[in-house]
Amino acid sequence: MAAWGDRLAGVRGVLLDISGVLYDSGEGGGVPIAGSVEAVARLKRSRLKVRFCTNESQKSRGELVALLRRLGFDISQEEVTAPAPATCQVLKERGLRPHLLVHDGVRSEFGQIDQSNPNCVVLADAGESFSYQNMNKAFQTLMELENPVLISLGKGRYYKETSGLMLDVGAYMKALEYACGIEAEVVGKPSPEFFKSALQAMGVEAHQAIMIGDDIVGDVGGAQRCGMRALQVRTGKFRPSDEYHPEVKADGYVDNLAEAVDLLLQHADK
Amino acid sequence: MAVRRALKAVLVDLNGTLHIEDAAVPGAQEALKRLRSSSVIVRFVTNTTKESKQDLLERLKKLEFDISEDEIFTSLTAARSLVEQKQVRPMLLVDDRALPDFKGIQTNDPNAVVIGLAPEHFHYQTLNQAFRLLLDGAPLIAIHKARYYKRKDGLALGPGPFVTALEYATDTSAIVVGKPEKTFFLEALRGTGCEPEEAVMIGDDCRDDVGGAQNAGMLGILVKTGKYRAADEEKISPPPYLTCESFPHAVDHILQHLL
Repeated sequence: MAAWGDRLAGVRGVLLDISGVLYDSGEGGGVPIAGSVEAVARLKRSRLKVRFCTNESQKSRGELVALLRRLGFDISQEEVTAPAPATCQVLKERGLRPHLLVHDGVRSEFGQIDQSNPNCVVLADAGESFSYQNMNKAFQTLMELENPVLISLGKGRYYKETSGLMLDVGAYMKALEYACGIEAEVVGKPSPEFFKSALQAMGVEAHQAIMIGDDIVGDVGGAQRCGMRALQVRTGKFRPSDEYHPEVKADGYVDNLAEAVDLLLQHADK
Repeated sequence: MAVRRALKAVLVDLNGTLHIEDAAVPGAQEALKRLRSSSVIVRFVTNTTKESKQDLLERLKKLEFDISEDEIFTSLTAARSLVEQKQVRPMLLVDDRALPDFKGIQTNDPNAVVIGLAPEHFHYQTLNQAFRLLLDGAPLIAIHKARYYKRKDGLALGPGPFVTALEYATDTSAIVVGKPEKTFFLEALRGTGCEPEEAVMIGDDCRDDVGGAQNAGMLGILVKTGKYRAADEEKISPPPYLTCESFPHAVDHILQHLL
């Protein structure tokens, strides 16, 4: 593989995944990943532009930012691209009234959206709310629609909590797709529109941007398909087999965000 | 396609075809009698994973169907055989009522996952446990992959969506033992001395009953009861050999045209 200097040349902006890169969620909110608090601070002091690009859909953007600030991160709501606000925009544009299968923590994001007489289903990482009854309600809602629309906030397979790996929304999205014989629309990574909106908010072109994430398919593969570079961290949901993924090859693998930032500060924007 | 021979065996689905939950399909008992008065062998094949064979039989008797235990072949029977053959200790995600069919199977310190229709187990924490076993390399054995089934209060999710969720999350494929697997239909015929070309399957699930049987070389008849929804017959290619109103109509067709 080429030297880091070549791989990181010309990078002007950095998109950071949150869960598994900054912190691992879990009991009591979660714990920061070693070195990540300082790494974000160093990145922000540099000339590089920084934006956070998350598929977090259990919490509202406000709650997520408050949690991260409690853990010591320098982050504000305006710096975060998250799927719930992006979904609200899609719902408004298309006049869709959702039946929500979401975690109570994110419900407030949909406060301004008409939810009467639903004509679509919005699926997010509902955690404990992924009960048979709730899945069945979503299924029945879709089956009653002439043109069933299923919007999924991300399609991740799993993510890491402090207690271990947990099924993510993608698994439940596939369940409903299979049950209804439909294909969901994904708002969030790896959807190109989502990455593009994060790039636009950061004001950096794709070829000058790099994504740092723990998901080889959703973060790395998705960003690369948009013309960005991408690094995978060996934290969060990372598994050793990811480095031999049959379809996706990251532009580099690093032990954690701290190492990624070391390399970026040394080699980027030259 | 193989040349068809005279019909010797009829496979019949239970829930949705002979009865819908605790109500018989009108005229089904008499139709079964008419079928039995001909020379064909009748077998009842079901993906009903909620109930043990004994439970199924009791319900059928209560509804006054003339059926004996050795005529019933279920996906639970098929799953148990596979567990024994693989010598694994399964985490059993099956309805409690199905447990008698797994009596004697070791389930401590599980290294496999058997998944059936078990709404009471399909919760986040339990599915996470299964997911982690699969990541550690445990095989996923699915009793069947039905998308949904019909309850008195409407359509309800079958095990298939949850199997698909685990497959996607772990990037593996389940071993499916029930309908529409070819081996299921062939196993069901075993002991009858009939070839698939000499058999017809009657069911309300276009893909799992009719498509599966036709893939195994049988004829498939789709009935418009149970989970049937308009235009279901267009979901498979080749289409069902026949689509008709209900089980009694299917029997009439067999008696008039296939014998």
